[in-house]
Amino acid sequence: MEREVILETKQATKHFGGLAAVEKVDMTIYKGEILGLIGPNGAGKTTFVNIITGMLPITSGKVYFKGQDITGWPAFKIGRLGIARTFQIVKPFRGMTVQENVAVGAMFGHGGAKRSPREALEHVDHIIEFVGMADLREKHADELTLPYLKRLELAKALAMDPELLFLDEVMAGLNTKEIESAMELVRKINEKGITILVIEHVMKAIVGVTQRVFVLNFGQELAQGAPQEVLNNPAVIQAYLGEKFVARFFRQQKAA
Amino acid sequence: MSDQKKAPIRFSSLDGLFKGRQGVLFSIFLLFILFLGVFPFLPFASGFWLNTLTLILLLAAMSIGWNFIGGYTGYAAFGNVAFFGIGAYGTGLSMIRLGLSFFPALLIGAVAAMVFAILIGLPILRLKGHYFAIATVAIATALGEIADSWTSFTGGAAGITLPFFDPIEWSGQFFYYMAYLLAIGGLLLTWFILNRKMGYSWVAIREDEDAANMMGINTTWSKVMAFALSALMAGLAGGIYAYWKTFVLAEEVFKIEYTLQMILAAVLGGTGTIFGPFIGAFIYYILITLLVFFLPVGQLHATILGAIIILVMVFTPKGLMDFISGRKKLSINALLENIRTYRV
Repeated sequence: MEREVILETKQATKHFGGLAAVEKVDMTIYKGEILGLIGPNGAGKTTFVNIITGMLPITSGKVYFKGQDITGWPAFKIGRLGIARTFQIVKPFRGMTVQENVAVGAMFGHGGAKRSPREALEHVDHIIEFVGMADLREKHADELTLPYLKRLELAKALAMDPELLFLDEVMAGLNTKEIESAMELVRKINEKGITILVIEHVMKAIVGVTQRVFVLNFGQELAQGAPQEVLNNPAVIQAYLGEKFVARFFRQQKAA
Repeated sequence: MSDQKKAPIRFSSLDGLFKGRQGVLFSIFLLFILFLGVFPFLPFASGFWLNTLTLILLLAAMSIGWNFIGGYTGYAAFGNVAFFGIGAYGTGLSMIRLGLSFFPALLIGAVAAMVFAILIGLPILRLKGHYFAIATVAIATALGEIADSWTSFTGGAAGITLPFFDPIEWSGQFFYYMAYLLAIGGLLLTWFILNRKMGYSWVAIREDEDAANMMGINTTWSKVMAFALSALMAGLAGGIYAYWKTFVLAEEVFKIEYTLQMILAAVLGGTGTIFGPFIGAFIYYILITLLVFFLPVGQLHATILGAIIILVMVFTPKGLMDFISGRKKLSINALLENIRTYRV
């Protein structure tokens, strides 16, 4: 069965001076899936999201959202079109309450054009509840702890009524229990029909939540496929852990 | 009572303004506004007081305008005097050269200031932090020089002389009320904007411009609007000032001190608050008057004023409104906490 494509990059490239942070990446994201994007530190994962979402100008290549060429669009237009993201380093609006933070997404995002601020403030109540922050609705963002700031990032992105959601390391810095509930949250968001791309270092979360994984290394595609398959790929293990470890790993596997 | 204190202060709404301590303060503030409204008819309203209050109210209006770009949007605009100057020259030249009466001339001056803000805002609002601040200072200074040297158009160092307000015996009252209406209009405008998407976009940009952009806010448009509206306030103030003084001179209306006064009033009262700049303008004038009175020697008062401003910036970076409104209790701990929270 032919699956519907929601986002496609063609030869997406980003150079910082002489450094190729992202080099000719062809990625296809299918509607309704949860795609994992992994790679060692500095592999270009966040840069890749930045050039898709218009945070950084793309050096060359094309980005298509639902067949429409959105290459070079400003970030706010891409946000309004139906792509939302969270930031690895959380970016709350500290002078606002949790409710106001989330309402900004509902005001300006994909579904925002028709909403007044008052309607947006009312509209976000169920989203705040959904991410489990109902008690903190009236708190200022600068009073929140990191796990809640990560949830706030998620709530802000969700309030934009996105069709495609980029989650940039929403689980980094969380403990095991928090990761469990964050994973549950990601699944529930996906069940609402939102396509998700997760960037994550927590492998348990990648295996537990994604249906497909895309690996970047030195800005280039290294592998893609089913999570278990990709994580057992020698090239991927080598990229993460180095050659020596790979040799030992496969010796042990043979022995076992 | 403790609940009252924990209640969130929504930056945009007037919810709870008539409740608790907030309510008392807001009522006092309203009474003060009313008092200012009837002031010229009071028996002790001498020309001196009218004059002083007109100056304070013009400063309040400009400070309210500065608050749009500096306080809410978070861009350190150090050149707002440029808009004051354009407003003054625009109004003056329209009256002299086009023979217009005051109000249409004032409109031309204000629109000219806004258009100028939009034209320079588009390129320079891409700059951030110090770079933006420097660009605004440079533009204001350059404009002052142009106004001073373009003799054929602006009258140069001779300045331009405007006709007197007619009837002249009502002149004091007329300009007082112009300044009063402008300041009150500025307060209403602030409140109006904060309850609209524009207000949310300004605060979002101040707190995190990248996040604001990604969330669908056209940040360029929002910033330019904030800049243009702050220009509108300063431009109107400039036009009123020009007709009031019946004289426009570059070195007078492009004084960099005016920008500093706007910023100081906002900082003293509390940037990013509705009433802060208005109250701050009064605090500033009282401060400077007391200092000049008690320290008439040389520039000593300026030194002390500087020291006071540094203390305010260090201990109450969000302005005195924080304590006046009861949002925070004035104590050594609160002051120390402020240092920790806002240190750069």
